[in-house]
Parts: sequence; C-alpha cells; structure tokens
Amino acid sequence: MPVVELAGVTKAYDTKIAVNNLSLTIEAGQMFGLLGPNGAGKTSSIRMMMGITIPDSGKVMLFNKPFERASLERVGYLPEERGLYKKMKVIDQLVFFGCLHGLSADDARKRATLWAERMEIADALQKKTEELSKGMQQKIQFISCLLHEPGLIVMDEPFSGLDPVNAVLVERTLLELKDEGNAVLFSTHRMDQVEKLCESICLINNGQAVLAGKVRDIKSRYERNHVIVEFDGSPAFLASEEVAEAKNFSGHAEIKLKPHGDAQKLLHAAASMATIYRFELLEPSLEEIFIQTVGGATNA
Amino acid sequence: MRNMLLIAKREYFEQIRARAFLMTTIGLPALFVVILGIGYAANLGLGGKKHLVITADNPALANEIREQLTNDNDGKLSVDVLPSSDSSMNSTLMSELQNKSINGILSIKAQSGELPVASYTSLASGDFMTGARLRRALNNGLVGEQLKSAGVTAAEADSLLKGISIQTFQLKKDGSIVRTSAEASLWKGYVMALLLSMTTMIYGLNVARSVIQEKTSRIFEVMLATVKPTDMLAGKLIGLGAVGLTQILIWLIAAVALVVTPFAAAMLTGEYSLHFSWFEGVLFPLYFLLGYLLYSSLFAGLASTCETEQELQMYMPLAAAPTWLSFAMIVLIMNDSNSPWAVAASLFPPTAPIVMFLRMASETPPAWQFVVSIGLLVASIIATLWFSSRLYRVGILMYGKRASLPELLRWLRYS
Repeated sequence: MPVVELAGVTKAYDTKIAVNNLSLTIEAGQMFGLLGPNGAGKTSSIRMMMGITIPDSGKVMLFNKPFERASLERVGYLPEERGLYKKMKVIDQLVFFGCLHGLSADDARKRATLWAERMEIADALQKKTEELSKGMQQKIQFISCLLHEPGLIVMDEPFSGLDPVNAVLVERTLLELKDEGNAVLFSTHRMDQVEKLCESICLINNGQAVLAGKVRDIKSRYERNHVIVEFDGSPAFLASEEVAEAKNFSGHAEIKLKPHGDAQKLLHAAASMATIYRFELLEPSLEEIFIQTVGGATNA
Repeated sequence: MRNMLLIAKREYFEQIRARAFLMTTIGLPALFVVILGIGYAANLGLGGKKHLVITADNPALANEIREQLTNDNDGKLSVDVLPSSDSSMNSTLMSELQNKSINGILSIKAQSGELPVASYTSLASGDFMTGARLRRALNNGLVGEQLKSAGVTAAEADSLLKGISIQTFQLKKDGSIVRTSAEASLWKGYVMALLLSMTTMIYGLNVARSVIQEKTSRIFEVMLATVKPTDMLAGKLIGLGAVGLTQILIWLIAAVALVVTPFAAAMLTGEYSLHFSWFEGVLFPLYFLLGYLLYSSLFAGLASTCETEQELQMYMPLAAAPTWLSFAMIVLIMNDSNSPWAVAASLFPPTAPIVMFLRMASETPPAWQFVVSIGLLVASIIATLWFSSRLYRVGILMYGKRASLPELLRWLRYS
C-alpha cells in the first residue's frame, strides 16, 4: 500500500517555482531517500506532504487517502530546522508532543521513558532542554517524532549534528522501524548513507524529479566505467585510449574509462605490460550519479 | 480543539512558573503604592523646610501674610518680615538667595488707591506649589488686613477667611446616596486604568515575545506538522490571557482581603472614602480580556513578521499611542465624563478599556455605551484576528529578514 503519493505536485512562490510537477510514491516498509542540491525543492516537497503548505496544483495522498489533517497523527516529522522549548524539562516536552499526536499524558510518559532508554538518554529526562548538548537535543527531537508509533516517518537531514556513535544508533533505529513495516522518508546530502539505507530514491533539481526509482535499477542504468587495477610492472597501460582519467598509487590504479570505453581492451593492454593481481570493474557510486545528473542539468 | 487547549495549558504553566509572574504580581501593586505614597508625601510638604523673606512697606499687611503662610498646614515654612528694601539690602538678600540661606523673596509695594504690587524671586523657576500658596496667602492677607483696619476683630476675620469645606455625595443609580471624594475617585479611576493598561500591554507583548522566541528556536515547523496555525495562535492567546486573568484575580482577592480589614475600613471612610462595586469587579477583568485580545492578536501577527525583539520595537508606538491618548484625556474626562470626546474615546476600541474606567471614576456611563463599546471591541478583535492569523500562517515560516510592506500585503493574499 502506498503510504505517500505525490501526483504532479507544483508549488510556486512569487516568480520562483519551488516544486514543479513532482510525482513520487513511497510504500510501507520502504526506506526512501529524497535527494537534491540546496534549494532544489526538498523541504518544499516535504512541507506539502505535512500540510504545512498547500500545493498550487497536483495531489498529495497520505495512507491511500487525499491529504487530511487527521492523517498527520500517523506521521512523525523531524524537520531540518530543529526546534524544542528550551525552558521545558525533557520529559514534559516529550509528553507534550505525544499528547499533540493524540496520546494520553500517561501513555506518552511511559513511551517517552522507554524510548529514552532505547536511545541512551534516560539520564536527561529530568533536565531542561537548554542544559543538553546539540546531539542530545537532536535525539530528543528524534524520539518526539516516534512516540505515537507513526506509520510514516519523515526525517530531514536526520544525521546532521550527530557524532558517529549516535549516527549509527539512529541509523540502526531507522532500519528497525522500516523492518517493522513503517515507511521512512529521509532527505540528506550524505550519499553513502542513502546508498546503504535506501531502496528507492528521488533526486530533484530545480523543483523537478531528475532521477527516480530503485537504487539498484538506477545504478544499473549507468555504465560500469570505473576500474581498479592492482599490478606489478609497467604502468604504461594507463595511457591507453580507453582511459579518460587515471590515478596511480604505485601498483594500485584507479581508472575512469571514456564513455563507451572498452574494459576488455584495457585488461588486455594491462596484462601485456604487467602482472595483474586485481582487475575490478565498478558501477558508479550514487554520489557520482548525483554529481553527473545535477551537474549535467545545471550545465544544460 | 484538544491541541489548542494543550498549547494553552503549556503556555499558561510556563508563564505561571516563571519568576517574572511572581515579580509583576507583587511588584506592580507595590509600585503603585510607592507612587501614591510619594504623591501623598509631596502633598504633606515633606519636600523639606523653606525659608522665605517678605519685604513690604506696609508691616501690618506683611505680618498678616506671614501669619497666613505659617498657619498653612500644607507645608513647613519659616517667614521673616523686613521693611521695604533699599538697594544695599536688596543686594544682601540676593546674595543670601544665591547661597541658598533663603529660598525666596516676596516683595510687596503699596500703591496709592490701588492694590499693592507683589513680586516673588527665587532660584526655582517652576515652583507652582509655592506660587499657589503665596497667591492664597497674599489674597487672604490683604482681605484680613483690610477687615481688621475696618474694625473687624481678629477672630472674626480669621473665621471669615477660613472658608467652607464642602462634603460631596453621589446619588447612585439604585437611589442610594454615598459620600464621595472627587480626589479619591480620580485616584481610584487612575490606578484602575493604569493597572488595566499595564496588564494589557504586558500580556499583549508577552504574546509577541513568545511568537518571536518560537520563531527563533525554529519550533514552528515541528508544531505545524501536527497543529493548525490558527489553533497554535488561539492556544497561545488563551494561555497567556489566562495568566493575565490569574494575576488580576490575585489582585482582586488581595483587594477584597484588604477592604475587609479594620485598617481599610478606616481608610475607606471619611473624606477619602472609596467605593468599589461588583460591577467594577466584573468589568475590570472583562475589559482586560477584550483589550488584551485586541492588542495580543495584533502583536502576534506583527511579531511573526519579525526576526528579533529589536525589530518588534518598531511597532511599539502602535501599542503606546492609544494609552498615551487615553491618559492625555484625563482632565477632559474628569471635568465632564459625558462630553462627546470622552464618550467617543470610550467607544473607540483601542482606547475603550482605559477611557471607560477613567469615566467610571466620576460617573457610571449609561448601559448602552458599555454595550456599544464591548460590541465594537469584539468586532475589532475578530477583524484583527483575521488579519493576524493570515500574517502568522506565512510569517512564522519565513526566516532571514524582516518582511517589507509589499511582502506583508502579498502574505495576506497568499493565505
């Protein structure tokens, strides 16, 4: 069942079109990455999903129904601009947000305590928010999105401001939530995380989707034009006409082939000049696809 | 509705627990007591002892004036009388005045067939209290001196000059007659209007400050994913308004507790007798609520267009102008509380709460004027809420710079 469905959504401010005819679908139990350079329209798209702004045209569906505010009780949202009441105690703050999402105060308190233990911040519950570090505050905000057990979790840059240990904790929690059948949408610039965590992505640029689908399918659409060679002997094969760019680190070379460059010809050339220990043809990373797609669109 | 009440509750408890609430609840009435105390002390002439010199070519008149001045209970004066001064004496007196061993010189010159001419020289240019006392003493002294020279005995002259005190009574709408004091009524109305204007402003600005703080802490985006902007605004207005009402309730309870004490009973009778009615007890919180809602809804909308509290300062005259206008009309209202200007100001929504209380100090206005003033206030609150909620919905998500007027107009169209 699609949890989120945007169909031809457009939003303009004055003369700037923030989102232009965007369509995407996120299924239950799916981790979805929304990517794009700064100002591409990621936050504008998310705000329309959350009912914070209304699209000029197109349709927003949540949980298979046209958008209605009641659906938001099943959504957990962590915006890029984090915000908490600084003077409030952490536990009171979590109870407040839980109640806003329809929980009773008692229920919210119990869940907040359990989540605080799970996220390793139980000691902070009785402190005022302003007394905590930025990373701790981020974890509190993370919990506040999840107390009401939402079916859709929307996180804008969820790892920014977290140290590596806490980033892994959040990453693990998101994967567990996905495995429990929740749809998770996150927007980020960290391509390595998208590659590791997301099944599907939508890359937007200038308000338009320029690349969308399953990560595997997208990557397979791009040529395997990166080669790693470990060798002993002459590096002269690096000057082959199949090679666009090459870096040689004494016996370890990273090579980028020309468009439609033939890896087999390169392998023959290398084997005739040196002893080859490793010859690996790699698919492009998501980061390279991102730069290639966005750069291409920008240059066009 | 549930979320609106949750927000109201959060705002209420955050404010009530803050130290500022305790300080204003105790501090504001204490400030008034101090202000009134200073005014009372000044009336009693606690400003310090003064030393005057009278030079006159008619010693009988000069002594009469001295008697008038020194018998005056309002203040402490010591008065020396000297014969009409020549130029050397004049310069001695001037140097004494210069080195402040005397505070003023009243010189009286007789003129044949006409009233004497008096002049007063002092270092202060604006001592109008002394000026008024001198005028009274001069007039009474002149009349006293002439009565005595016409053969009237000193005792008879004194009793004639003593004047008659007037007791004032007010006929209430229910037919009862109560003893009142214009001065006490003026103070009562003034203090109530001042308290009303201060609480309205304080809580109206609290709403603005709270909007800016939430905007700075970027909490809006989290909240708006759960709550409608109108519910957020309404919750905030209800929560902070309830804090103001709590404060007023505490003051009312304290006032009632004071009134039933024997000390208050003694204070509230006699020349300065004050009368509080249940009508005032109901109207005070009602006008606070209406004034607060008018100003706070306006400020909430404007604050959502600002980035910092400094930017909000630009809108302060909007809040202060109606208050200044209301208090500038105080003499006009006290002279004739039913004059067209006074009635108009008590119906005009921004000045209505304060002016109505100033008018009530001298006479309870007709019921229809209360109905119209409350009706107009409610209508303007609805209009302001409409305007502000539109600004608020767009403004709270706009970061970076203060919106210009054309941008504000565009926001009104957007939402």
